[in-house]
Amino acid sequence: MSEAVDHEVEAEESPDVDDPILEVDGLKKSFGGLVATDDVSIAVERGSITGLIGPNGAGKSTLFNLISGFYEPDAGQVLVGDSDVTGLPPHEIVQRGLVRTFQTPKKLEGMSVREAMLVGPQAQPGESLVPIWLSPSSVADAERANLDRAEELLQLFEIDHLATERATEVSGGQLKLIELARAIIAEPDILLLDEPVAGVNPTLARKLAGFIEELNESYGLTFFIVEHDINFIMRLSDRIVVLDRGRVLTTGSPQAVKSDSRVIDAYLGGGGP
Amino acid sequence: MIDLTRTERTVLGVLIGACILLAGLVGTGVLSASYLFYLLALGGMYVLLTVGLNVQWGYVGLINFSVAAFFGIGAYSVALVTSPRSPLELELHPIFGLLAAIVVTVVIALLIAIPTLRLREDYLAIATLGLAEVVRLIVLNEQWLTRGSAGVPGIPRVTEWMPLAWVPFDSANFRNFLLVVGLVALVFLIVRRIHRSPWGRVLRTIRADEDLAKALGKNTYRRKMEAFVIGSVIMALAGVFYAHLNLFLGPGDLDPINTFYVWIAVIVGGSGSDRGAIIGGVVIVAILEGTRGLVAVVPADVSVGPLRLLLVGALIVLVVRFRSQGILPPQRELIWPGTDRRASASTDGGEDRE
Ligand SMILES: Nc1ncnc2c1ncn2[C@@H]1O[C@H](COP(=O)(O)OP(=O)(O)O)[C@@H](O)[C@H]1O
Ligand SMILES: [Mg+2]
Repeated sequence: MSEAVDHEVEAEESPDVDDPILEVDGLKKSFGGLVATDDVSIAVERGSITGLIGPNGAGKSTLFNLISGFYEPDAGQVLVGDSDVTGLPPHEIVQRGLVRTFQTPKKLEGMSVREAMLVGPQAQPGESLVPIWLSPSSVADAERANLDRAEELLQLFEIDHLATERATEVSGGQLKLIELARAIIAEPDILLLDEPVAGVNPTLARKLAGFIEELNESYGLTFFIVEHDINFIMRLSDRIVVLDRGRVLTTGSPQAVKSDSRVIDAYLGGGGP
Repeated sequence: MIDLTRTERTVLGVLIGACILLAGLVGTGVLSASYLFYLLALGGMYVLLTVGLNVQWGYVGLINFSVAAFFGIGAYSVALVTSPRSPLELELHPIFGLLAAIVVTVVIALLIAIPTLRLREDYLAIATLGLAEVVRLIVLNEQWLTRGSAGVPGIPRVTEWMPLAWVPFDSANFRNFLLVVGLVALVFLIVRRIHRSPWGRVLRTIRADEDLAKALGKNTYRRKMEAFVIGSVIMALAGVFYAHLNLFLGPGDLDPINTFYVWIAVIVGGSGSDRGAIIGGVVIVAILEGTRGLVAVVPADVSVGPLRLLLVGALIVLVVRFRSQGILPPQRELIWPGTDRRASASTDGGEDRE
């Protein structure tokens, strides 16, 4: 399968994206004197798995924060689908179909695993006070559907036995799975994962890669993934974007990027895998 | 009754024991029935304050140091609108006192929350500290409105309509007690319904990690605003009740130490738990009012006020040491009742999850 993908990418001469689901244009962000994002322009193809790599401090997480509305850019634009989301608060960007996860897993104090899952679904009628009183049956119907969907996803990720465990008591790796499952239940069009396998054992990492591929193929879900594990990201991605000191160093197929001397200098330090 | 956890059963047992003890005290004439009902009515008032703060701090993590101020806003709204001795000279029906209290509270809560809830959480805390002082100073100094330290007398009773003349121990205090029981029950049913819902779940997520809630598409600003306003209105309801209980209102009734007591009640009861809030309120009142009885016991040269604070302090130490989550911490998943197939299928729902 990976051969087929490689073939396709090689056949494509220009790195241009035909049908971008996410476009970043001239994005800039500095913190005091430090320019963390320096004129970054990136496009993510709809239905692709796009990797974002770069040395520590290159500005990958900052870029995710800018795209998802957690940071306000100093300049530039972010487009999700056809809509300009620059400067929108995070929850409105989610409504446009973009969901992100965090580099450091967020523990949900005082919640069970499935309760944490139930925070994922969008536009739940019971999240507003009026339907709670005026149309309790719509609240109940949505709740039942969401419970079923949460159960289904936990089963798919083989963690359904944890459903009623406290979310603070599962392992780091399981937490990563829960985060992915919870992002999926939000039904995004594009999912930004910030280091999904950091601190995850190799077996679970392979499993996670499998889930990502499956979700990408069967739902056409687009992934934009920051990952330090080079093997993981190279195997998974259709395209790779390399960031270095806040700038886009290069963009291309995993093969092209792997053999690019600038990338090797900046990131792989010459002794790469 | 089936879905009580072990801790809840213990707490219920202690409560029933306390009731029997109190009944015994009344029966043997140590305590007059009327005074007992007065104490219980005050207890109900504290429970309302605790339930209100629990919506803000326990559900969503908002820090409000204006508990006494919102209580005062509710109470003064009633006093100024209904009392014949109020400088406003409106003398309206108590229902308008209630409406005025709610409207004024909502407006002030919004004025505090709109600029601060977008900022870091400490800004709300600081703003509420300021509000507490502003309300206190207005009540004390704006005599044209509040009569200052003279206070507002002549607040009407609201319990005459109760058809209770046949009850042997019928008294104003008994009726006030029934009124507050009804009020607490109503508020409890309302907050429990909104708590065990997707709305409550979003609040719980915000409390744990607001960024995560935002990343999952939740309008956290709006939800925090709702919780702040609802909690403040419940505190104001406690003030409304107090005005009609005491029939007189002065600046002394807004003692800021009450904010501290209510915070202790929420923490002792178990932040985030509705039942815990009720227990916490009861425990605090038991200590505050129970220590009044100490006057008869301790030597005349020991003053009871500091002793009371000492007891509250000891309670905090005990809770932190042995039950840092409070007496009845939240134990239930926030899932809309009746939709969870697992819960209806499982039989061990009555056990503690510890
Ligand atoms: N909120 C912030 N305030 C100040 N500096 C920041 C902030 N966020 C990121 N930075 C800085 O921006 C640079 C890029 O960080 P980051 O995006 O986390 O890198 P990466 O995820 O690629 O490792 C780092 O030098 C980091 O210290
Ligand atoms: Mg990072």
